[in-house]
Amino acid sequence: MIGNWIGLWTMVRREIQRLMRVPIQAVVAPLISALLFIFIFGFVVGGRINTIAGHRYIEFVFPGVLMMNIVNAAFLQATSQIYFQRFQKSIEEILVSPLSYVEMIAGAISIVIIRSVVTAIGIMLIGVAFGAVHMYSLPEFLFWVIFVSMIFGFLGIIVALWAKTFEQLNILTVFFIQPLSMVGGVFNTIGMLPPWLRWLAYGNPLFYFINGLRYSMIGFSEGPAVFGAIFTVVLAAVLGTIVWRLYAIGWGLRE
Amino acid sequence: MTPALEISHLRKVYRSGTVAVEDVSLTIQPGDFFGFLGPNGAGKSTTIHCITGISNPTSGTIKIFGVDAVADYRKARTLVGLSPQEFNVDPFANARNIVDWMGGYFGIPAAVRQKRVDMLIERFDLVPHANKPFRELSGGLKRRVILARAMVNDPQLLILDEPTAGVDVELRMDLWRYLQELNRDGKTILLTSHYLEEIERLCRTIAIVAHGQIVRHGPKEEFFTEPGGLERAYLAATGKVADHIAAGAR
Repeated sequence: MIGNWIGLWTMVRREIQRLMRVPIQAVVAPLISALLFIFIFGFVVGGRINTIAGHRYIEFVFPGVLMMNIVNAAFLQATSQIYFQRFQKSIEEILVSPLSYVEMIAGAISIVIIRSVVTAIGIMLIGVAFGAVHMYSLPEFLFWVIFVSMIFGFLGIIVALWAKTFEQLNILTVFFIQPLSMVGGVFNTIGMLPPWLRWLAYGNPLFYFINGLRYSMIGFSEGPAVFGAIFTVVLAAVLGTIVWRLYAIGWGLRE
Repeated sequence: MTPALEISHLRKVYRSGTVAVEDVSLTIQPGDFFGFLGPNGAGKSTTIHCITGISNPTSGTIKIFGVDAVADYRKARTLVGLSPQEFNVDPFANARNIVDWMGGYFGIPAAVRQKRVDMLIERFDLVPHANKPFRELSGGLKRRVILARAMVNDPQLLILDEPTAGVDVELRMDLWRYLQELNRDGKTILLTSHYLEEIERLCRTIAIVAHGQIVRHGPKEEFFTEPGGLERAYLAATGKVADHIAAGAR
């Protein structure tokens, strides 16, 4: 499937160099955003809220804030990387090279995961400073970070291939990702919602991602964890297949 | 002998419905220096895009040294180097990185790549400019970077889409010498240009394309046995001769 490792690594180091030209946007902005969420909701407001299933509110909120930032980092990385290359036509450098479609996608997704992991490490350090970080299961934690990054990386690639304007890059974030994150249990348990609204949480993919990451960190789960993990793997596989197909037919890539 | 490039009944229709290439068939022998002439919008660049994977052909076949450019695209790409008409690069990247990254995409190991990049940077007089962002370079320097990038994988078939458009006389002459050297060393070159003297000077075989079809194709000598030479043949083949004569009479 992957034979041109040098080509793949070139894609990664090229994008890392691009990110190093915009460190505030790529690294600092999500850290400041996370710091404010943790400080206001976790520390200030959370100090006046009772524990949830034996956990301090800041410990409950932290995995949700972390997942929101992982989702944003993954989606932004994929959209900006692919859309800018299309906009500049520098994507043609990759199209004329002997990289397979799988290698092109693997290169793009590798960078998405690297950016998500770097963002996650930065936020974890902030969390440590607030005493909000626990690790119930490291393998499960890594599973959620990597698979959710892949899912939003694939979604970002699809949007970047579809978009004709910069404006269109934000549609999914504004109308779906942000609202679904907020109602996906970042700041509250599903039990806190009115009963008629709970179905919305269980039908929300973001709920399973947040719930899964929270379980891996503090061992608290409100939903079927195994179902969430299987759903996540299947969703990543389906989106990956769609992206592969789009690359193979050249949708949004080749004239 | 396996042709360097064999295009058979290539057709390209864009999603907008525009027929860019109607029916192009041509064969380029290994070691040839092939001139591809035609007015703007005739289908030259689209044909090149189909050869190199930037565009999907609607129908027809393209073989590069016998390798199908669609079915076996990875192998076909290793044989080709492209200098496109437009500057399709990250404008914030520097010249050295642009050439190096392309070598990386082709899977060239770092040690070999570095030597190759150094050689090309030197060959195209880019040493003082190698670490400057592409967007800060002059038009001629940008063109040199694009040419160096096209040659980083030491391609068997070099495709140059208007490589001397907007460059000064010095670079043009230097590039002509370099291309002749490469051709003498066995590289097959496909060159498009609007400068007829460039085609006359460099190419051994010429094809003229108009309205998405090859309207004239043959050895260079054929074009010079006619009165008016290549210019007259070009205008006649592209249907512009009447206008040209009328303008001359005025």
